Amino acid sequence: MSDALLDVSDLRVHFPLRRATPFAPKRTVKAVDGVSFALAKGRTFGIVGESGSGKTTTALAVMRLTEITSGAVRLGDESLSALEGEALRRARRRVQMIFQDPYSSLNPRMRAGAIVAEPMELMQVGTETECRERAQELFAQVGLRSDQLQLFPHQFSGGQRQRIGIARALATKPELVVCDEPVSALDVAIQAQILNLLVKLQEEYGLAYLFISHDLGVVQYLCDEVAVMYLGRMVEQAPREALFGNPLHPYTWALLSAVPRVGRRRRDGAARLRLEGDPPSPISPPPGCRFSSRCPYAEARCKAEEPVLREVRPGHRVACHLVREDGTAPLRPATL
Amino acid sequence: MSGPLLEVEGLKVEFDTWDGRVRVLDGVSLSVSPGETLGIVGESGCGKSMTALAVMGLVPKPAGHVTGGAIRYRGEDLVKASDGRMRDLRGNRIAMIFQEPMTSLNPVFTVGDQIAETARLHLGLSPAEARKRAVEMLRAVHIPEAERRVAEYPHQFSGGMRQRVMIAMALACEPEVLIADEPTTALDVTVQAQIFDLLEELRAAEGTAIVLITHDMGATAEMADRVVVMYAGRKVEEGPVDAILGNPAHPYTQGLLACRPNLQLGHAAARPQLHEIPGVVPPLHLLGRGCAFADRCPRAMPRCGEAFPPAYDVGESHAAACWLLEEARAA
Ligand SMILES: Nc1ncnc2c1ncn2[C@@H]1O[C@H](COP(=O)(O)OP(=O)(O)OP(=O)(O)O)[C@@H](O)[C@H]1O
Ligand SMILES: Nc1ncnc2c1ncn2[C@@H]1O[C@H](COP(=O)(O)OP(=O)(O)OP(=O)(O)O)[C@@H](O)[C@H]1O
Ligand code: SF4
Ligand SMILES: [Mg+2]
Ligand SMILES: [Mg+2]
Repeated sequence: MSDALLDVSDLRVHFPLRRATPFAPKRTVKAVDGVSFALAKGRTFGIVGESGSGKTTTALAVMRLTEITSGAVRLGDESLSALEGEALRRARRRVQMIFQDPYSSLNPRMRAGAIVAEPMELMQVGTETECRERAQELFAQVGLRSDQLQLFPHQFSGGQRQRIGIARALATKPELVVCDEPVSALDVAIQAQILNLLVKLQEEYGLAYLFISHDLGVVQYLCDEVAVMYLGRMVEQAPREALFGNPLHPYTWALLSAVPRVGRRRRDGAARLRLEGDPPSPISPPPGCRFSSRCPYAEARCKAEEPVLREVRPGHRVACHLVREDGTAPLRPATL
Repeated sequence: MSGPLLEVEGLKVEFDTWDGRVRVLDGVSLSVSPGETLGIVGESGCGKSMTALAVMGLVPKPAGHVTGGAIRYRGEDLVKASDGRMRDLRGNRIAMIFQEPMTSLNPVFTVGDQIAETARLHLGLSPAEARKRAVEMLRAVHIPEAERRVAEYPHQFSGGMRQRVMIAMALACEPEVLIADEPTTALDVTVQAQIFDLLEELRAAEGTAIVLITHDMGATAEMADRVVVMYAGRKVEEGPVDAILGNPAHPYTQGLLACRPNLQLGHAAARPQLHEIPGVVPPLHLLGRGCAFADRCPRAMPRCGEAFPPAYDVGESHAAACWLLEEARAA
C-alpha cells in the first residue's frame, strides 16, 4: 500500500535464548514471526491477543526499540527499519509511544513540565522558551492545569500520570503514536476519560494510532482495523465491523466468546466457545496451525500444514484451513 | 437453606495514618446465602478488599481497627471472635482467593505440599490422604497432568494456573463461603473465562456462597445474583443483578455502567459516545459530611454537599443512597 503512513511487512523479531550448555541445541523465542500490516494517516490499527502473543514486541520493533530480525518497517517514504544514527533520530520524531504503566514510565525525579519538554530537547526541536510554551499548551490539551507543571509524578493520580505520558508523546508532533495497553492499569472511570482524550487528540491532530490492548471492548471502541495475534503471527485481520460482525477464525471466536458481557448469564449455561489450557510456548510452537493444539475444530490437516494468512473478503484476512474460498466459516457457532 | 450464611451489618473500619484517623469503611452491610453469588463493584480504593479482609479477620494491625458493626457467620459475631476461633474458621468454613496469587503462595514449597497442608490441618486427613486430596483438587480446577504437576513449585506455573492453584487450595477444605477478590485481574480473557466457569461449577455443585469482588461490570452481570456497589467506603446501591444493570438508581452506578465500552457482537455501527465520570475518587481523609460522590455527580444539588443521603428503597430488595430518590418520592 503506497498511501500508508506505517507499512510493516513480514516483520520478524526472534530472541536467541542462552544455552544451558555449549552443546545444547540453539533455541530462539519467535516473539514476532512474520507480521504484516499497514496503517493510514489519522486511523487506528488495533492488535489484540493473549499475553505473550507478541503485541509489545511488534510495537517495540516499530519504534526501533528492539532489534528487528528481518522484515521492513516503513514510515511514509522512509524505511525506519533501515535507518541508523542521525537519520534514525530525525525519523523518530514522527513516532512516539505511550506505555501501559503510567507509574514506571515517568522519571520520578523530574517535574511534570520537564518530562513533557524532554523529547523536544532530546530531538532538538525549538528553543528553550518554545519548549516551555509547548509544554504548557500540551498540558492544557490533555486536561492538566499549568500550575501542575511544577509537580513531580508522585503528586498525580494514575489517570493524570497517563495524561502526562500522552502530553510527552505529543511533544514532537508525531504522526504516529504507538499505544501499548494505555488504559489497562487504570480504573474503569479513568479509562473512559483517557479513551475520550485519545479520540479528541486524534481528531485534532490527525494522529494515527497503533493501539495494543487485550481488552476487546476498548479495541472495538477505538480501532478502525483490528488484527488478532497468536504466538507471534496474525491469525485474522479485518476492518472493525467485519472482525466483530463476521469473525472467521476459531481463535477470534474464542476471544470474543470469553469476554464477560452484560446480558448473558453464566449459569444459564450460555453457549460459549471454551478454550482449554494456556497458549503453548513460543519457543516450540505446535506444527501446522499454531492454534491447533487448543482449537476445538482442528482436523488432521491443521496439525500438518500451516494455514497461510489470505484475503477472503476485501480487507479481511484469515489464516485457517476451515474458512472457505467464498469467505464463510461454516463451523462458527450460532452465538459466541 | 433459609436466611443468609454470612451477614455484615454496619461495618466500620478505621486506620491510623499520617493524615490522622481515616474511616475506610463506613457502615457497610451485605449478606450472602448458600448457593448465591454476591458481586461487589466499585472503583479502586472504595473498600472492596477491606470488606473482605474484615470478614476474614485480617484487617492489618496495628494501624487498622474494626470500630463498629457486626460480621455474623451462622449467627456468630466474628468481630467478637477470638484469634483462635478466626484461624479455625478461615480456610475451613470461609476461604478467600486473593488479588495477587503469587504473594499468597509460598515459593519454597511445592504446590502439592501447600494444598495437602491445608487439607491436613482443616480436615484432619493423614499425610497420604492429604496428598491424594491435593491431586484431586488440582484435577478439579482443570490443571492438566495433575499427578505430575502436584510436585512442582509455584514459579513453574503460569499466572492462570497459579490462580487455579489458589482456588484449589481454597477449595481443599470445602468452605461454605468463598470470597474471590479480583480473582482474574491479571489473566487473559480466555483463562479468566475458565476461572469463572470453575467458580460457577462450584456454586452449582456444592452450594457454596460466593462473594465476587471485581471492577468489571460484565463479569458481575454474568456471575452475580445480587450486586453491592461501593463508593469511598460506603455502600451506595444494592439490588438484584438485573435491577442494578437495567435500572440503576444511583448516579455512580449509572456512570460506572456507561463508562465501559462494552463489546458488541454483530455489525457495530459508528463509534458511540463514551460517557465519562469526571474527576477522581476523593481521598478518604478529605471526605466531608455530604455524599462522597457529590463533586463528581452530574446531578448534584446543594443538599448533597450537606449531609450523607440515607438508603431509599427503589424496588424489590433494591435500594440506593442518593438524595435524588427523596426528591423523586416527594414529587
Ligand atoms: N527480550 C526478550 N528476550 C526473550 N524473550 C522475550 C523478550 N521479550 C519478549 N520475549 C518473549 O516474546 C514473547 C512475546 O512477548 P510480548 O511482550 O511481545 O507479548 P505481549 O503480547 O505484549 O504480551 P502481554 O499481553 O503479556 O504484554 C513472549 O513469549 C515473551 O516472553
Ligand atoms: N494499611 C492501610 N493504611 C491506611 N489506609 C489503608 C490501608 N490499607 C488500605 N487502606 C485504604 O483503605 C481504602 C480501601 O482500600 P481497599 O484495598 O479495600 O480498596 P479496593 O476497593 O479493594 O480497591 P482496589 O480495586 O484497588 O483493590 C483505600 O482508600 C486504601 O487507601
Ligand atoms: S486451521 Fe485448523 S487448527 Fe487452526 S484455527 Fe483453523 S480449524 Fe483450528
Ligand atoms: Mg505486552
Ligand atoms: Mg482490592
